[in-house]
Amino acid sequence: MRVGPATFVQALIDTRDEFDDLWALYLPIGVAVAAIVFGLVLFAVVRYRRRGDDLPGGREGLPFIEGLYALLLAGVVVFLVAATFRTNDRQTELASDPGAEVDVTAFQWGWRFTYPGEGVTVVGDDRRPSTLVVPTDTTVRFNLRSRDVIHAFWIPELRFKRDAFPRRETTFDLSFEEEGPMETGRCAEFCGLAHGEMTFDVVAMARPEFRDWLRRQRTAGEIQREEPR
Amino acid sequence: MGAAAVAEAPSGGLLAWIATTDHKRLALRMAIVALVFFLAGGVFALLIRTELADPGLQLVGRDAYNQLFTMHGSTMVFLVMTPLALALGGYLVPLQVGAADIAAPRLALAGHWLVLAGGLTMYSSFLTDHGAGKAGWTAYYPLSGSSATPGTGMDLWVAGVILVGAGLTLVAVCLLATIIRLRAPGMTMLRLPVFSWTMLATVLMVVMSVPVLAVGMALLLADRLGASIYETSGGPIAYQHLFWFFGHPAVYIMFFPFLGITAECVATFARKRFTGYRPLILALIVFTGLSMSVWAHHMFTTGQVINEYFSLTSTALVVAAGTEYFAVIATLIGGAIVLRTAMLFALGFFLQFLIGGLSGVILASPPLDYHAHDSYFVVAHFHYTLFAGSLFAGFAAAYYWFPKWTGAMLRESLGRIQFVLIVLGTNLTFFPMFLLGYDGMPRRIANYSSDAGFTDLNRLSTLGSYLIAIGVAVFLYNLYVSLRRREPAGDDPWEGHTLEWATTSPPPRFNFHSLPPITSHAPLLDRRLAAVGGAGKAEPGTER
Repeated sequence: MRVGPATFVQALIDTRDEFDDLWALYLPIGVAVAAIVFGLVLFAVVRYRRRGDDLPGGREGLPFIEGLYALLLAGVVVFLVAATFRTNDRQTELASDPGAEVDVTAFQWGWRFTYPGEGVTVVGDDRRPSTLVVPTDTTVRFNLRSRDVIHAFWIPELRFKRDAFPRRETTFDLSFEEEGPMETGRCAEFCGLAHGEMTFDVVAMARPEFRDWLRRQRTAGEIQREEPR
Repeated sequence: MGAAAVAEAPSGGLLAWIATTDHKRLALRMAIVALVFFLAGGVFALLIRTELADPGLQLVGRDAYNQLFTMHGSTMVFLVMTPLALALGGYLVPLQVGAADIAAPRLALAGHWLVLAGGLTMYSSFLTDHGAGKAGWTAYYPLSGSSATPGTGMDLWVAGVILVGAGLTLVAVCLLATIIRLRAPGMTMLRLPVFSWTMLATVLMVVMSVPVLAVGMALLLADRLGASIYETSGGPIAYQHLFWFFGHPAVYIMFFPFLGITAECVATFARKRFTGYRPLILALIVFTGLSMSVWAHHMFTTGQVINEYFSLTSTALVVAAGTEYFAVIATLIGGAIVLRTAMLFALGFFLQFLIGGLSGVILASPPLDYHAHDSYFVVAHFHYTLFAGSLFAGFAAAYYWFPKWTGAMLRESLGRIQFVLIVLGTNLTFFPMFLLGYDGMPRRIANYSSDAGFTDLNRLSTLGSYLIAIGVAVFLYNLYVSLRRREPAGDDPWEGHTLEWATTSPPPRFNFHSLPPITSHAPLLDRRLAAVGGAGKAEPGTER
């Protein structure tokens, strides 16, 4: 495995951090807007209850205030979209020099993980999920495709998913910070009978251990169906 | 007004009922059909929620579950919300614009029968060997293709959707022509009531988008029968483009009419002219235009669309939607608010839809959607817009216009009980789904593991769905009681602002014996204010 300066020059993108930062921008704005609207309606309903037979005078409109308000909304839109674009660029950028590569094939109903150039393949099915093993502290390149219908590769803990299409490869990068098993990965795109069972386990390990694991898989056989340990 | 009896004379019994060209009868029948399908879709929802109350499989198998959520979704979208929107428009738009009938009533009649035939075709798929449609209401290819989902059931489902699409388009065309061509003298476009404007925007979107659905589905049917149309590397994504080019305007088709209902209720029950009419119209037009260019925000995770473009157009909807919210709040402030059941449901729509809308802003951001897409977060989002939103306004419409449709009032006390039950049930059902989706629960799964941590929130959600069911039962009972022991409504029980309140309840065959002068978008309010010298003081004891 190459451990040259290039690996460290390109900052690792943690999709979870990226998601959390953007979420921390959107959610409070949403909650604030909801609070304002709920407050205004509650205020109006209490303060302006009907008290007699008088018909209240009505204004046709408030053009100046409405114009200003529309501009304010447009400002919020620009602000949110700009933040979204920045995050999106970072999340979808492909590293020039990924530290590991996995070919992912989704099928009804399971996952096959192949490590190109390593001669290692891990397969599961809807009864026995397969395990995705990845190294930490480096960019992992994923080449995703489907053997039949559309599936989606989702690792909830990384806050990231991508659809798997037949006859078409989708490429993306992820990085894994913490060693150890992660929350179950799942198929997110409805794909038929056993869609709900189409899960996979994820284990991240430090790079030396990852090399050892690959070596053990190679000696254990061309196709490894057992859980790695 | 006893004069109604003259126009209500039956002409020909059953045949007249089946082949009526009276837009009012036709629209009521469309609404009743939608209500029946709503109950069927609701039963599917209860079965789904019961299955999900516990980890593992208890009630239904996986195959049956897939049929249930497919039929639930396609029932609610194709056979309930969209036809209901057009039914409300079919009844009210001719009245609101001062027309004697809908334009091309036979075409509208054909449209209604096509929708019903399509619905029955979809449901007939239950009778086949392989069961009903089971590829989700979106029927993504290749899952909906003949090798992944074989069987005539799926064929019938696709054929049903084509028929429904054709029927909806016909009804929409008739409404479009009514608004453009049949307005009464003096009813200029800028005197069109707010509800009719929202219907205009709606039928424009139907006419532009539903034919695309019908084409996409027709190609799918051909593909299933052996034509291999989508069976290329670009086929699956092409199907999604066709589907969502319909599918996104479709969600506003199921929103605008209900916004219009809310606007009418808020103006009437705040006893005040709708404020910000022109900005609202402008916002509707902008919204309609934008709605045709946001569809691929359903496809952010495919990696095959320009995410930035669709994120920008989708988020920009905030400006138009915000203007609509401003107008409603500005109408409330300074009003003299009466909280009748119709108003409660209208405000329920307004506030709960907001939660759906704001979560939609989150989903319009690709990096947030990469996590939330196809999870229960999305399920929560669209149920807040469609159920907590539009259906609440549907109930508001029922309480507001039932007196006009039948000449009898719905019971207020039962309405309030229903409102409380459904508000509690709705939020208990759908709010936990936001958390479930965030925690990683995918949609469309019959089964989840007991150590996934999804159990408690799913139980809450299931409990909520039972409360909703009780609330709906109260509504049905209310319909029954109110028709059985009628409390006469009179022509204008709410002191309404628009022309439908200027005629009898129910209106005569050709709607009006005479029309009041049409001076603004609220002609009856103008007349009421003029009667008291414009001083804003109503004569004591005028109505009711």
